[in-house]
Amino acid sequence: MANNPQMDVQVGRLLRANTRACVAGCQPAQRFPAFGALVSIDLDENTSAYGLVADIHIDDDGLVRQLVTTPNISEAVIQDNRVNRNVPVELSILFVGHRSAGVISHRLPPRPPLSLDRVRACGEGDICAFSGAGRLGYLRFILDAQDFPAADLLAAHLLQAGRAQRDHGDSQWFAQAVDKVITQLRSDYDRLMPILEALADVQQELGS
Amino acid sequence: MIELMEQNQAIGIVTSGGLKENLQVRLNGSPQQVQEGSFIVIDSQDWKFYGIATDLQLQSIDLRYALEPSRTRLPETLANLLDCQTLYTNLVVLPSLMLERGPEPESPDYTAWRSTIDSGGKEEPRPMPVKSIPAHHASVFLAGAGDVAEIFGKPTEEGNFVIGHTREQDHPVCVNLDKLIQRSSGIFGATGSGKSFLTRMLLAGLIDHNRASVLVYDMHNEYGLDDTASDTGENVRGLRSGFGASKVQVVGLGGSATIRGSAPDFNLVLGYSDILPEDVELLTRELNLKETTATVLDALVQSLGKDKWFKSFKAMKRGSVIESEDGKKTPAPDSVAFWANQNGVNVMAAEGLHDKLRRLFNKAYIVESPPADSIQALVEALKKGKHIVLSFGDYESDLDYLLVSNLLTRRIRAEWEQMTNQFRGKNGSEPRQLVIVVEEAHKLLNREMAAQTTFSTIAREMRKYYVTLLVIDQRPSQIYDEVMSQLGTRVCGWLGDEDDIHAVLSGLAGREALRGMLSRLQAKEEVLLLGWGVPMPILVRSRRYDEQFWQDIKTSKKAGFDQAQAIKNLYGD
Ligand SMILES: Nc1ncnc2c1ncn2[C@@H]1O[C@H](COP(=O)(O)OP(=O)(O)OP(=O)(O)O)[C@@H](O)[C@H]1O
Ligand SMILES: [Mg+2]
Repeated sequence: MANNPQMDVQVGRLLRANTRACVAGCQPAQRFPAFGALVSIDLDENTSAYGLVADIHIDDDGLVRQLVTTPNISEAVIQDNRVNRNVPVELSILFVGHRSAGVISHRLPPRPPLSLDRVRACGEGDICAFSGAGRLGYLRFILDAQDFPAADLLAAHLLQAGRAQRDHGDSQWFAQAVDKVITQLRSDYDRLMPILEALADVQQELGS
Repeated sequence: MIELMEQNQAIGIVTSGGLKENLQVRLNGSPQQVQEGSFIVIDSQDWKFYGIATDLQLQSIDLRYALEPSRTRLPETLANLLDCQTLYTNLVVLPSLMLERGPEPESPDYTAWRSTIDSGGKEEPRPMPVKSIPAHHASVFLAGAGDVAEIFGKPTEEGNFVIGHTREQDHPVCVNLDKLIQRSSGIFGATGSGKSFLTRMLLAGLIDHNRASVLVYDMHNEYGLDDTASDTGENVRGLRSGFGASKVQVVGLGGSATIRGSAPDFNLVLGYSDILPEDVELLTRELNLKETTATVLDALVQSLGKDKWFKSFKAMKRGSVIESEDGKKTPAPDSVAFWANQNGVNVMAAEGLHDKLRRLFNKAYIVESPPADSIQALVEALKKGKHIVLSFGDYESDLDYLLVSNLLTRRIRAEWEQMTNQFRGKNGSEPRQLVIVVEEAHKLLNREMAAQTTFSTIAREMRKYYVTLLVIDQRPSQIYDEVMSQLGTRVCGWLGDEDDIHAVLSGLAGREALRGMLSRLQAKEEVLLLGWGVPMPILVRSRRYDEQFWQDIKTSKKAGFDQAQAIKNLYGD
């Protein structure tokens, strides 16, 4: 088994996927993971893919379109629409690595998951294991992401992972990650500086 | 042999460059850890490269990182991380020497490499001029004491004289005295840069080493007896007081000369017969002599004899006439004009020369019959291995300096040439090496004089006749370039004038880089060692010339090496 079930919470199931990313659907009633959170999807007994929640869509259905224009909607109607909607909340997940036979690698998963595969939110232990493996090579997936807000995705992820690492005793991890980001983007001043400013906020939140 | 291995921290890595355009090194940390002139060592595979820092440049991978301080936009820790990767200092190194140090000392390859050398299959590696360059990313270090000793020699070894210390780390830098005297050498620098102090030390080293006799033309009476430093007012020990009269003799010019109130060991008095026409011709500029001089002198020698002309010419009267009964005036037989008429020489030319030579006729140190042949005495002392400081006493004019130093040097050179020829012809012993020290050398070695003086002959023929020069000057640009380019070792303090800097660097590699360094030396007590006599250019803080220096010389304790202590360490108290 690839993941520790106690730590991981199922958040949804796979809708569609390609090599680089996938989309999962989850019930709106469930507490779905935050933007930037690390999730994993078992591909088979030995292999699971890791990804970051890179986008969250809430699509409209026919009913909500009608309700939107109704004056004085009652609170009960709103809650009912949110919980019992026909269209799921869609999470776009950017693949950042995989684990095969217990070994984490920061390369794309060997194949994408299949429809209705379970998507789980990773616990702190798993976050530390993933982000601490290797030399932060996976940050390139975030920085190279075309269809997602890369800077904020990075900030959100570094906040989550930085916190987990700090709580597990590695207070240097965040600085190392920033260093890696600088290495990757130093030749692009216009892009790097706003990202660093976003990371400055993260640093403050981490209190380091 | 046990070498002290200091664990030296790398200061950066080689990033680019070449033999022609210097090496570029990216520094790890602050630029201030290196200064212009620092002695740099580069480790590249089996080779070590040695060079000097010639420039430091602030660089950024994108100019915007440099223009806008990251601290204004980012908190300190992030700003540091960013600066570390985007801003850096580039160090420019002029590579000079390379040395094969073989594979890693612990590796089996090393053992094999070493045994090839030990068995004579390969020469023991020696530092040689760079013919290659270090690889990309080779580690760069500031030289340790071991590196300095490797290149410039160990201070403890006989013949090595500590002339100063490296600027940042204070490692002793030696010059090899035997090499120093193999060719003529020079000490340059603007006034007050420490030339005379440095010369005192070098001479003390040479005298102590005792491989050459030293003759100093001491125009300003600085070297023999104690002097007072003009700026600090402190007593400055002279060579005679340092070594005693058995080794160093002070010779005063003129019969009753005293030097700074003390009597010299003996006096130098020239006889009329010592003055030769060529001695006069050398004074052409000084005495403002006409082109006719040579003809007149020639006639003087022809008619009066080589060793009598001066006496006779001096005795002639200027303008004395006799009147015949009919009132007609003709030159008297004791007049210059009479002699001129007799010998078919233009009267005006002869009278003109006589007028001008009056400055010589009146010199008290030139007498008809000196009490002893003091020139010969001086030469004999030098041959016997004594050292002579010729003090000019009150005769401080250029005329005295030019006349006496040229005349003496001519005699000495002739004597040494003869000795050398005898030695080569297997009927004589090897001549004693001689070093002639000339202050204000441009007076004797300027373009105009250089063709005629014995000095330039000596500079050019190097050690052929066992005589070399040590020239000291503030204005090297005034010294004839052909002489300058012959100077082996050049020790150069601060120089402000472009032409002077250019002159000192004439004929040396890496001139452009060295030029900047010269103009930015400290005004005092910092010198650049250059030229054939040193393995590579290096900037040193001059050794202090003080009582401690003399203590070290006397106990033969070279800087950084205490013999007594070493013996104690070996055998216990
Ligand atoms: N190595 C040294 N040790 C101690 N003092 C020194 C040393 N070098 C220079 N000085 C100080 O600097 C002053 C000037 O030095 P020095 O007389 O040697 O200059 P210089 O180059 O010979 O000048 P000039 O061309 O005018 O003769 C000295 O009086 C002395 O105080
Ligand atoms: Mg001087």
